Amino acid sequence: MRRLGPPSEIGRLAAPLGRLLDAAWQRMHWWVATMVVLYAASGITVVKPDEVAVILRWGRLVGDTPALQQHGPGLLLSFPRPVDRVVRVQTKHVWELLVSTLATVNDWGGNTLDPLTQGYALTGDQNIVHVDMVARYHVRDPAEWAFYGPNADDVLRVEVTAAMVRSLGEMGVDRVLADGRKSLIATATRRAQAGLDAAHSGLELSSLELTRLAPPVALAKEFDAVQSAFIGAETKKKEAQAFAQSAIPKAQADADAALQSARAAAASDLARAKGDAGAFLALHREYQANAVVVRERLYRDAVDRAIGAANVEWVPPPAGTHYQGFRVSLPPVEAGAAAQMPARSKPTSGGGSQVNSDRAPTP
Amino acid sequence: MASAMRTQRWLRGIVGTVALGAIVFYATAVVVREGQAVLITRFGRPLRAATVPGLHWKLPWPIDRGILLDMRHRVYETGHTEMLTRDKKNIIVRTFVIWRVGDPLTFIQAIGDEGGAETKLDGLLTNAAIGTLGGHDLSALVSTDPHDLQVDEIESELLASTAPLALRSYGVTIEQIRVERIALPEQNVKAVFDQMRAERRQFAAKFQAEGEREASRIRSEAELEAARIRAKGAEEEARIRGESAAEVAKTYADAHRIDPDLYRFTRSLDSLDKLVTESTSLILRTDSEPFSLLQSKEPK
Repeated sequence: MRRLGPPSEIGRLAAPLGRLLDAAWQRMHWWVATMVVLYAASGITVVKPDEVAVILRWGRLVGDTPALQQHGPGLLLSFPRPVDRVVRVQTKHVWELLVSTLATVNDWGGNTLDPLTQGYALTGDQNIVHVDMVARYHVRDPAEWAFYGPNADDVLRVEVTAAMVRSLGEMGVDRVLADGRKSLIATATRRAQAGLDAAHSGLELSSLELTRLAPPVALAKEFDAVQSAFIGAETKKKEAQAFAQSAIPKAQADADAALQSARAAAASDLARAKGDAGAFLALHREYQANAVVVRERLYRDAVDRAIGAANVEWVPPPAGTHYQGFRVSLPPVEAGAAAQMPARSKPTSGGGSQVNSDRAPTP
Repeated sequence: MASAMRTQRWLRGIVGTVALGAIVFYATAVVVREGQAVLITRFGRPLRAATVPGLHWKLPWPIDRGILLDMRHRVYETGHTEMLTRDKKNIIVRTFVIWRVGDPLTFIQAIGDEGGAETKLDGLLTNAAIGTLGGHDLSALVSTDPHDLQVDEIESELLASTAPLALRSYGVTIEQIRVERIALPEQNVKAVFDQMRAERRQFAAKFQAEGEREASRIRSEAELEAARIRAKGAEEEARIRGESAAEVAKTYADAHRIDPDLYRFTRSLDSLDKLVTESTSLILRTDSEPFSLLQSKEPK
């Protein structure tokens, strides 16, 4: 045990401080002990569900690989400051940034655009388009983002703009405004992500949305006219296709109907021919048995039918061997009128057609 | 009592040591965080740069001093600069650069603060852009032909012409240079508008003509096909009718061949039936049959 000797110079100088500490300890030793415990506990951090924490020990990142560096949600034990410093980063949260560097403001359809105040991009065929974009992103590498990455909004704005300008610059305006939109977004997203990686941003682009992609207001009418012409052309094609779809089956149906009719007529003609042939054969059998009677009967029947059907003018036989000065007047023969105008004989001259004959009519 | 004295002595010792240690630590330790660097100067003269994160040491103030530098990457956008391409087209280009402090000592000596760096970079980048783009046509930046486009080459040229100089002269490392904007001078936009209008009218006319041509092609093809179907049908119909007529003729011929005379007679009577209709006028003598039957007692 060290012997207490006479107080040294330093001891004398430190004596008031010692007395102050002694007095403080005697009065507030519980407070001091509590403060010491609280200081030790300040190394405990609660990491929230959407966060990842990294620890800096004397300023240096603890852990060699990202898996060892990053600590997920829950309680995280570390040394109090100034030894350790815990940095928490929201990695699950998706942020949104409106990129309007290529968008137009207050374009009332003027015949020019000021490049400093009106945003636009040139397409591959040197047309002008305005683009409004919304970029959604999240932090992929918390350590890189927190310690080395540039300002997230700045780097996103420039990388997305550059990627879009470049992607638009290799496509024609018609493709951009029609079916190339999806491909444009995919290309621009890929390029923007490559730029974000090269800038050590630690960010990942979740999606890139084009809220507006349009030609200048001054040219809207002309672009609409092309659209209308395109729709008109498509309509004409569709109408022609509809015509084709009806014309061909109709022709097929007509051809089928004609064939059916021909087949029916053929069948009917043949049936009639067979019937007639049968009748003729029957008549022939009868004719063989009694030719004169059958012939006479057939002849008489025919004469009866003829007399019954026609207008018959009976004229007396001539006084001598020939008719002389004899006239027969027949009604004019007109289609459909013959039936209504009965024939009348006029021994004297009169209107209507006249038959002069000096020969006797024979039946 | 002796125990209380011992405790007090321990406490004094601990507190004194901790206080002394803390003072010495803060005077001599330099904590370099990730993304930072500290330039240590001795009496104002730069001594060394602590760029590796962790604990570094220096002599206490006023001998040594630590100057903190932010080593994060930063974005700088140049102004809109009008320039001429090789094919003599006026364009307005804006580029951006991703940079960081690469050499803290040179950076502090040449620039001093971060705001100054951007002024220096702007001049460097603008000159490089004018020089580089003057060697390329506009189609190297915007074209629908992939063979014309040389954006990667242009950006590489820009980087190659600025990065070594920026590091050597300003202690700035340029990580990336990109073309952010390609625009046209305001006075040239009108001509582009006129060209776009003419092109749109041409497209509208082309679509219209193509639509009509295509519709007409579809219609005529359909009509041709329909005519072909009808012709084939007519051919088949004619064949059926022909075969039928032949068969009918054969049937009649087979029957009539048995008695041609009777056939001729019946055909003559049939012809008479067809010949004499309601519009036929027959002039018959009253002394011929059957009228004569009314005049005589016996038929002739």
